[in-house]
Amino acid sequence: MASALRTEKLNTGYDRRVVVAGVEIDIHQGEIVTLIGPNGAGKSTVLKTVAGQLMPLGGTVYINEREASDYPASEVSKYRAVMLTERMSSEQMTCGEVVSLGRYPYTGKLGILSENDRRIVTGSMELVHVTDLADRDYHAISDGQRQRVLLARAICQEPRLMILDEPTSYLDIRHKLEFLDLLRSLVRDRGIGVIMSMHELELAHMVSDRVVCITSEGRIQCTGTPEEVFTDELISRLYGLENGRLKELYADFVDNLRSKQ
Amino acid sequence: MKINRIKACYALLGVLLLLLILMNILTGSSSMTMGEALRILFSHDTVSKFGKIIWDIRMPRILAAALLGGALSVSGFLLQTFFANPIAGPYILGISSGAKLVVACTMVFALTRGMMVHSVVMIIAAVAGSLAVTGVILIISDKVRSMSVLIVCGVMVGYICSAVTEFLVTFADDSNIVNLHNWSQGSFSAVSWDNIRVITVFVVISVISAFMLSKPMTAFQMGEQYARSVGVNIKSFRVFLIALSSILSATVTAFAGPISFVGIAVPHLIRSVTTTSKPIVMIPQCFLGGAVFCLFCDMLARNLFAPTEISISTMTAVFGAPVVIMMLIRRKAR
Repeated sequence: MASALRTEKLNTGYDRRVVVAGVEIDIHQGEIVTLIGPNGAGKSTVLKTVAGQLMPLGGTVYINEREASDYPASEVSKYRAVMLTERMSSEQMTCGEVVSLGRYPYTGKLGILSENDRRIVTGSMELVHVTDLADRDYHAISDGQRQRVLLARAICQEPRLMILDEPTSYLDIRHKLEFLDLLRSLVRDRGIGVIMSMHELELAHMVSDRVVCITSEGRIQCTGTPEEVFTDELISRLYGLENGRLKELYADFVDNLRSKQ
Repeated sequence: MKINRIKACYALLGVLLLLLILMNILTGSSSMTMGEALRILFSHDTVSKFGKIIWDIRMPRILAAALLGGALSVSGFLLQTFFANPIAGPYILGISSGAKLVVACTMVFALTRGMMVHSVVMIIAAVAGSLAVTGVILIISDKVRSMSVLIVCGVMVGYICSAVTEFLVTFADDSNIVNLHNWSQGSFSAVSWDNIRVITVFVVISVISAFMLSKPMTAFQMGEQYARSVGVNIKSFRVFLIALSSILSATVTAFAGPISFVGIAVPHLIRSVTTTSKPIVMIPQCFLGGAVFCLFCDMLARNLFAPTEISISTMTAVFGAPVVIMMLIRRKAR
């Protein structure tokens, strides 16, 4: 499979201050890569940089095998869709309108949807099961529904790469699982590469193809499959936990669940 | 369905606009019959007594109220989009008062030297004043994240500008100062046909430019980061938005003085009726709505206590401010 996102010696940060240095990521289409690490490690900084929100402080970002800075501004959003943690303040906006904005890169000067655009919008809403929300006010729906609507918006952009910043943070456990199941089946079916950040280690373990650990000093500690990364030793070191604490919390938790089944 | 509401709103605004234009032609200190008025309108009779009244006094005033009212309302919508807040508007943020101050300075300066001020110069002065206050507001908005604090700061800046203007008007020593005083209270009465030409050029070009920005505006309503992610050049987009809203509100202030609340009340009313905030719908509808609102207020301002005329800003406040209060209460209640 072709590469959806590749970074080479990428340095990220704000105002020339490097937060995370030497990021080397290669995400193939249909693959989910998750960034984990303590608060303030710079996961969002990395995501914002590959999302084009921050200028790289060194190194190169390749989207779909082409240098990101090489794309004309309006062109790159045909390949890259984002779901960042930004609140929308505009009033009187239906979910249908929010989703249809995903067609932005494809519409003309005034942004009027064509027949084909409409079909894709409807299709995307069906895929993430939000068709019945189309006429509802975007501000009047639940957090779980909102994340699905935003996913539909990203999907109808027909991207090769999706960037999600803590997409499950404010959801309850059922909606977390629903969202991740949906995400996984969508990206597999459509061959979309995903890079996202997450705090829930057990969910990251479940959903990711590969995991990137970023330390509180802004260093990439390790990259690997969940099986390779999620060891007591590596994770304890990453989050600065005493040895054994993690096992105490998580292993017991998981064992407990199993024994009750 | 939403699309039907939008169509209904267009129809309603269209009917009201025609009705109000007609009523503004017919009403006034000398009343005339409908037949007479229509004859004068279609025969371009500009010599008879009524012909003079219609073509020299009432028509320019109607056009001024319609064009400037529309401009003010679109300007308010642009500011609301810019600040992502429905309470933003050129009057409440002090932008109109800034324009008023610089225009008053220019006029006093010119009048004391016996010079006439060309209408384009007036607009330039007003734009300079608008941009100066907008600059201050932007600096404040960079420091405080709270929208209500920003609004209060805007109101304060407005008071300062108005105070300085009052000072100038009080101590400027010229017989023309009576005009200046009327203007600084807000009125459509002093607008000439020459002014109308200049107003039309500025307003039409600005509103069409704003309409052409509908698409990036829609993305911007979703948040700055999202807009950037779909390829909107945020910096130049913001500059355009501020420039257009300043030109629009400055044009109003240059010719009719500061007019309150239209910029907030009209977009809110339109949003409530159409239940959308999409710029491609909002910009034309706000323009029509602002025209209707100001024609209505000006008709009352002229006729309610005739022959005494009430300032237009008083009327727009009477009808606009309650709308804004209702809006605030409902937002808090939610």
